[in-house]
Amino acid sequence: MRREIRFRLNGEAVSAQVAPHESLVEVLRDSFGLSGARESCGQGLCGCCTVLVDGTAVSGCLYLATLAENAEVSTIEGGVGLDAVQEAFIEASAFQCGFCTPGFVLMTRQLLDEHPDPDDNTIKHYLSGNLCRCAAYPEIIEAVKLAAQKRRKR
Amino acid sequence: MTPFELVQPATLGEALALLDAEDTRPFSGGTALMLMMKAGVLRPRRLVSLQKLGLDRIEANGGLRIGAMATLRALETSAAVRSGWPVIARALRTLSNVRVRNVATVGGALAHADPHMDLPPLLAALGARLLVSGRSGERSLPVEELYAGYLETTLKRGELVTRIEVPPMGKSSGAYLKCTTRSADDWPAVGVAVVLGDENRIFVSAATDRPTRLEDEASIEKLKIEGDSHGSAQYKKQLLRVYLKRAMDEARNASR
Amino acid sequence: MKRATHPAETAQVGRSVPRLESWLKVTGRAEYVHNLRLPGMLYGKIFRSTVAHGRIKRIDVAAAQALAGVYKVITSREIRDVVPDPYYGPAFHDQPILATDKVRYVGEPVAVVLASDPHVAEEAVHLIEAEYEELPAVYDEVEAMTSKAIVHDALKPAGTFPDLKHLKGRKNTNIALDFRLRRGDLPAALKRADHVFEHRFRTQQVMHTPLEPLVSVAESTESSLTIHTASQSPSFVRIEIARLLGWPENRVRVRVPFLGGGFGAKLYIKLEALVAVLSLITRRPVKIALSMEEQFFTITKHASTFRIKSAVTRDGRIVARDCEVWWNGGAYADIGPRVTQKSGFTAPGPYDIENVSIDSYALYTNLPPAGALRGFGIPQLVWAYESHTDLIARELGLDPIEFRRRNLLREGRPQATGTPMKDAALEKVLARLEALMDWKTPLERGAGSIRRGRGIAIGFKACIANTTSLAAVNVNADGSCTVYTSCVDMGQGSDTAMAQIAAEVLQIPAESVTVVHSDTDVTPFDMATLGSRSLFHSGNAVKLAAQDALNKLNQLKEELKLSADTAIADVFRKKYGMRAGSVTGTGNFIPPYTPPDENGQTANATPFWMVGASGVEIEVDTETGRVRVTRLVNVADVGTPINPKIVETQLSGAAIMQLGFTLFEKMLFDADGQLRNASLAEYKIPGFLDLPKSITNEAVTSEQTNGPFGGKGVGETATFSVSPAIANAIHDAIGVRLTELPMNPETVWKKLHAA
Repeated sequence: MRREIRFRLNGEAVSAQVAPHESLVEVLRDSFGLSGARESCGQGLCGCCTVLVDGTAVSGCLYLATLAENAEVSTIEGGVGLDAVQEAFIEASAFQCGFCTPGFVLMTRQLLDEHPDPDDNTIKHYLSGNLCRCAAYPEIIEAVKLAAQKRRKR
Repeated sequence: MTPFELVQPATLGEALALLDAEDTRPFSGGTALMLMMKAGVLRPRRLVSLQKLGLDRIEANGGLRIGAMATLRALETSAAVRSGWPVIARALRTLSNVRVRNVATVGGALAHADPHMDLPPLLAALGARLLVSGRSGERSLPVEELYAGYLETTLKRGELVTRIEVPPMGKSSGAYLKCTTRSADDWPAVGVAVVLGDENRIFVSAATDRPTRLEDEASIEKLKIEGDSHGSAQYKKQLLRVYLKRAMDEARNASR
Repeated sequence: MKRATHPAETAQVGRSVPRLESWLKVTGRAEYVHNLRLPGMLYGKIFRSTVAHGRIKRIDVAAAQALAGVYKVITSREIRDVVPDPYYGPAFHDQPILATDKVRYVGEPVAVVLASDPHVAEEAVHLIEAEYEELPAVYDEVEAMTSKAIVHDALKPAGTFPDLKHLKGRKNTNIALDFRLRRGDLPAALKRADHVFEHRFRTQQVMHTPLEPLVSVAESTESSLTIHTASQSPSFVRIEIARLLGWPENRVRVRVPFLGGGFGAKLYIKLEALVAVLSLITRRPVKIALSMEEQFFTITKHASTFRIKSAVTRDGRIVARDCEVWWNGGAYADIGPRVTQKSGFTAPGPYDIENVSIDSYALYTNLPPAGALRGFGIPQLVWAYESHTDLIARELGLDPIEFRRRNLLREGRPQATGTPMKDAALEKVLARLEALMDWKTPLERGAGSIRRGRGIAIGFKACIANTTSLAAVNVNADGSCTVYTSCVDMGQGSDTAMAQIAAEVLQIPAESVTVVHSDTDVTPFDMATLGSRSLFHSGNAVKLAAQDALNKLNQLKEELKLSADTAIADVFRKKYGMRAGSVTGTGNFIPPYTPPDENGQTANATPFWMVGASGVEIEVDTETGRVRVTRLVNVADVGTPINPKIVETQLSGAAIMQLGFTLFEKMLFDADGQLRNASLAEYKIPGFLDLPKSITNEAVTSEQTNGPFGGKGVGETATFSVSPAIANAIHDAIGVRLTELPMNPETVWKKLHAA
């Protein structure tokens, strides 16, 4: 029942053997050792499993790996060094246990791509699908605004 | 999850043929389907992906034509929708979250038949019609006639929603309001869609087992209301009274 | 890049050092047991009870065992081959590794399927059949006091609590513990009182829902075991597993990387005993990772009922308080007895009351077990006593803050246990809250359907005693520093705090310190990371260890006849002829403590107090009952903040979490003890859209004299007062008093329209 699929992962051409029922998060973890995207709520509500497929943020725990065939998949592990968003999260102390943080970073990048200068309301709505039980929400809002500033400067 | 086979037909005809079988389900965005399969509520042996069927176009030519496989996000960000049917764009802003909207499709959202969903009452209030395709041909029906009950549609086995058509709003204006009673971001306890135009169309959801048309405020009292973890039947009735008023006000003040 | 040996230019404590693990967390590289995979690993999926109370008649695993890909199916029988007496628990050895003869709650683990593919394991779980002879069940804590439905045939206190010994073998009761405190003469005081007020308050069962669900992995040889676990208490895990197996401690290794949240859920034994035994049976690594849903069937927070009665003089002095608290402990005691006692003795609140009576009962019921959740019983108590205190003030026509001020405990005055208050800045916190709330300015309450109101509350907690922390600090040959502690960083910033403390002693930059994570083969004993104890206890141990290392370095300099300002690298080169060697300092810390007598009286109940007050401004939509918090102010006494930014975010995070418990979180059970909302789709936790418009968090200037550099804990402080502050604000806004949590829109609306 396993089938080989080819796709691009963080800019690199790769392949994996996947069964139809396997989620993208499972394949990223088991075939590529990437555990930045994590299954937590299992229902697409918390955002810990956020992965980009063809530049679009999806819930990796609900995304069948098979459907990533020929797609561009990006995870938190992509890229070298820290980008403006990651720097801003550190400077604004926008995480505590860190489990939800990769999901927030990826969603924040998407948010700023679409809204380069978001107000609090826009930030809250765009990120409403990312949960943080440590409740670092106020710091995350600051981090997003700081990241927006940093991006504008670059 | 029980192992299953995933097939990706290239034509609608192929898809319809595959769907006319036992233990087979269509797969559009997959968000709701995956949830139910992970929970063990649904255990299909075969999933038929609708992704390669070219059903994802959104076109405005007087009316709005939405391919059933258009994502909610595409609908939300469509320039045509924002200018011609802004009430839809507004409602989508708080529909689940961005990741879900990136993947979930309009057809899937409608065919899931969860009465807590936002699109069905709104599209019904807008007078939208569905195109349903099956092996024996196509048929058209108003959105509200898709629903038979909680998670139950009037679709026969092997039938698919393939297109949604929304008439132009013209001078009508609309509003969709929902009330959540636990965290702010949640399935609603009640949803009210109001479109004011030549006729007023009001549909309520979440408090009933399917989107239900209201003639007027007074008919709230005659509704068969389902109490659930979002609120008792008595409380939902109160919410409906309040939110109908608020939705009417918002619709009156909206341009569309 | 860390600068290893340059001396520090500024102070290391009192500085908002960015968390040491920042890079790891923002790049997704932080290690969590959630992500751990070992070669040859088997996944375990748990088969759970579907009845709330019953004798197990039959478990049929044949079909599950026969499924292709299933390695083995384990029940209690196989467990008992390895561990003949498979009962564990920090206070009572009442919890079986897998259900033996009875099940006591819906969701209790009964069997485990092992497979190398977790999907196969999960499929196989559905093929297991069990038959139960159902027994009457009890769910309510007050009812459990006298119910004929008895959850445990006999009580089994563990050795860890010497004061529970008298309960051993007690039968026919659901009362696992009754804590009793008597001070002064309550009956007499009530008799002569000018006013007597009595109220009853309730709280609900909720769950921590850390986003990394509970998870443990065990691997074994014939004589050793390594458990990788998401645990806040690695030292305890080692002790308990060694006890269960009858092994020496040094053969059990417990490793903890980062936790994806803890909040008290990941304490004592949860999955560790199960994976340990499974690994010994199979000789393969075994991982059990709970789903979010399964967490609800593992550990929760006590629901409670609190009857509180006060005698008050005409001029607003509280002269007597009678407290009766029932704690719903669920089917297994876990740490409930400690909640019952150690939080129980603060039930009258931070008030100077001459005559006090407290009866605090830990009850068994047929619900998922309750244990430690951020606040450890204090939020439930403050909910009651601060609502009650506010009601009294209203009745007497006194300003709520003024009434509290009149009765607040001052430095040196005896608390209900008789312990004199020390370093608890109650007055200062209340005064600061008053100022931040602009309390003297009247609030516009509004006349339309939206009504505004405001409320305040103040609560306190005694750090549990007495507990031990040890630490080691290495100064390496180049002068760089490594800290060894079994304190666990679950997001509260303990790594960074320990680094700052060591760095302050050694006068090096905190960023240059490496903190080694819990590994019981390496890091010394620490009681556990819980109850906001770690900054104080582990911090003091680290400080002592760093001081010890410094002393040893100074001795070395003397021995080698080097000047005091010789660079450390030169000292080692002189001693060993090359860059080699290191100096290891050790510290052990256990504060003094006096156990209470039979009336709960002691001169030394706790090494430190935490003080947390909150004020809120709210809007109530009177048409729907929805409460919106527009302003949330949290003021705390945390001693001297070691890391001000972390302190601020701990106050903020705790308060926002408490908002969820206050306004909407609740585990919903049907009449058969079946949980209906075990998932984040149906059990909603706070998100962005629930945030108050404005949140202010402040620590008052104060010093914990016996704390490391004047510091003490903060993790739980802002959980104390949020709930009653909101109830008090609702009363202020619409004249309606809610006495049960959560205060969701329907309950507010119902109460408003019943009035």
